[in-house]
Amino acid sequence: MTTPSHEPGPRPRGAGGPTPLVPFSLLDPSDQNIVLFRGATVRYGRLTALRDITLDIRCGSSTAILGRNGAGKSTLLRAVLGWQPLNSGEIRIGDAHPQHARPRLAYVPQRHAIDWDFPITVRGVVEQGRYPSLGLFRRMGRDDGDRVDGALEELGISDLAHRHIRMLSGGQQQRTFLARALAQGGDIFLLDEPFAGLDLFAVEELEHILRNWESQGRTVLAAVHDPAIARRCFTRGVLLDTGLVADGPIADVLSPANVDRAYRREHCAHEGRPRSALTAEAER
Amino acid sequence: MSLHDLLLAPFSYEFMRRGLLSALLLSVSGGLLGCVLVLRRMALMGDALSHSLLPGVAAAWLLFGTSTVALFFGGLIAGLLTALGSALLSRLTRIKEDAAFGSLFIVFFGAGVALISRLPTRLNLADFLFGNVLGVGPEDLWLAGAVSGVTAALFAVFYRSILLETFDPVYYRATGGRGGLVHMGFLTLTVLNLVAAMQAMGIVLALGLFLLPAVSAYLWCDRFVSMLLLSIALAMLGSAVGILLSFHLGLASGAAIVLSLGLVFVGSALFSPRYGAVRSLLRGGGRLPGT
Repeated sequence: MTTPSHEPGPRPRGAGGPTPLVPFSLLDPSDQNIVLFRGATVRYGRLTALRDITLDIRCGSSTAILGRNGAGKSTLLRAVLGWQPLNSGEIRIGDAHPQHARPRLAYVPQRHAIDWDFPITVRGVVEQGRYPSLGLFRRMGRDDGDRVDGALEELGISDLAHRHIRMLSGGQQQRTFLARALAQGGDIFLLDEPFAGLDLFAVEELEHILRNWESQGRTVLAAVHDPAIARRCFTRGVLLDTGLVADGPIADVLSPANVDRAYRREHCAHEGRPRSALTAEAER
Repeated sequence: MSLHDLLLAPFSYEFMRRGLLSALLLSVSGGLLGCVLVLRRMALMGDALSHSLLPGVAAAWLLFGTSTVALFFGGLIAGLLTALGSALLSRLTRIKEDAAFGSLFIVFFGAGVALISRLPTRLNLADFLFGNVLGVGPEDLWLAGAVSGVTAALFAVFYRSILLETFDPVYYRATGGRGGLVHMGFLTLTVLNLVAAMQAMGIVLALGLFLLPAVSAYLWCDRFVSMLLLSIALAMLGSAVGILLSFHLGLASGAAIVLSLGLVFVGSALFSPRYGAVRSLLRGGGRLPGT
């Protein structure tokens, strides 16, 4: 995977009206962008969760999606997965609608969403990555087994394969689910708060894995709560405050001014109105 | 009393053979279904569902008499109404699903008891609630066979979907699965199995045949498949022992089955080598909350 030599700087947003819809054919003359947002907007009832996001995710980049609670990180991931219908705008994976690009998307859920007492072994979890392509009736074949072994191997958990998932450290649990995503065979990895609840050592481990994946040209899109960790582990960033605050190289995205805009007004939620609405108005 | 008198002689009676066969058939489907109920934390919902069948069964009895088919559809409709009704209530009002379920089922159960108390026939409420192995007729046996077969076949075909949806519904959805469909499928299958088990086990106790073997198996197994298989085996063992107990001691058959399964459950909960209470206590203290 070649990376382009020029890096466009962060694009501050907020001034001016909503981005006009531009046809996809005019916007991406190259094939370097793999996930494309064009004016993507999501509302839950009267609350706007994602406001007019126009954004390109580079093929082979590792991108952290940043913002405070309720800034739209999870909504953005869900929209990419194709299960959050947009109120307006469009999202494309390559040139396909997200629902038609499912085999390419490998999702890694939050660790606390998992029942660690479920009767299943490490290998059992990783095998689940093969289920979507097996359908209802096909049995696990040799090729499937090889892929599972390969994923276990790559993440260094081959010798834990027959352990119950409760008997793992936090980092090993995280690697098990990364292995499942690998075994699935997609090329775009969507991680929901992968660092949540990990200890210092496990964070380091995951940093190493993500850097490795990036050098292999895998596209990673991760919701990340902590700016410091994002700076450490990701090359690019997308800063949200329901609208897009900035996107580009992580250091530029997390400039003091941007961080201030996206995180500062945390403590003015008593007005009885949704925080996001207040923020958006202030930005006008 | 010889071993023959204890174990085999009771089955020289046809009703005992029918009762045993019906319970064994439902052990297969109940054992499978129970695992999913336990792992999806739907155990109490299953209990509520079982109570809500009563008005449907009573109304069917009132209108069509003792026809097994009528009882079956009566129970099925009442159960599905409760499940759908509470799903709708929790979506359209601020009531959460457990409260919706809890409220609806008790209303349904009340209506059922009211209907039965007004029935002109000398229908025994206790038989409805707690089961009577004497009442298992040939049609009940066919029903048990059909329901058990359908449940087992669905589990075989949708095994991966069931495992994924139970273990990690978000991932299942991300890979294109339809979790809502699977959930409604479980509720429907639960109702089907409860109705089929009603004659031998009774409405209130039928869930015990599903739940107890599954919880016991959960305390022993570290793999989904082995949990399913052990759960079926325990359900069969408990059914056989329970039916013999009910014969020799004159107990209600549903109660006898639930008690034998209960013994297995309490034993497992206390003495399971990895996940039992005794082991936890010996290692000093229980588990951290939320881990």
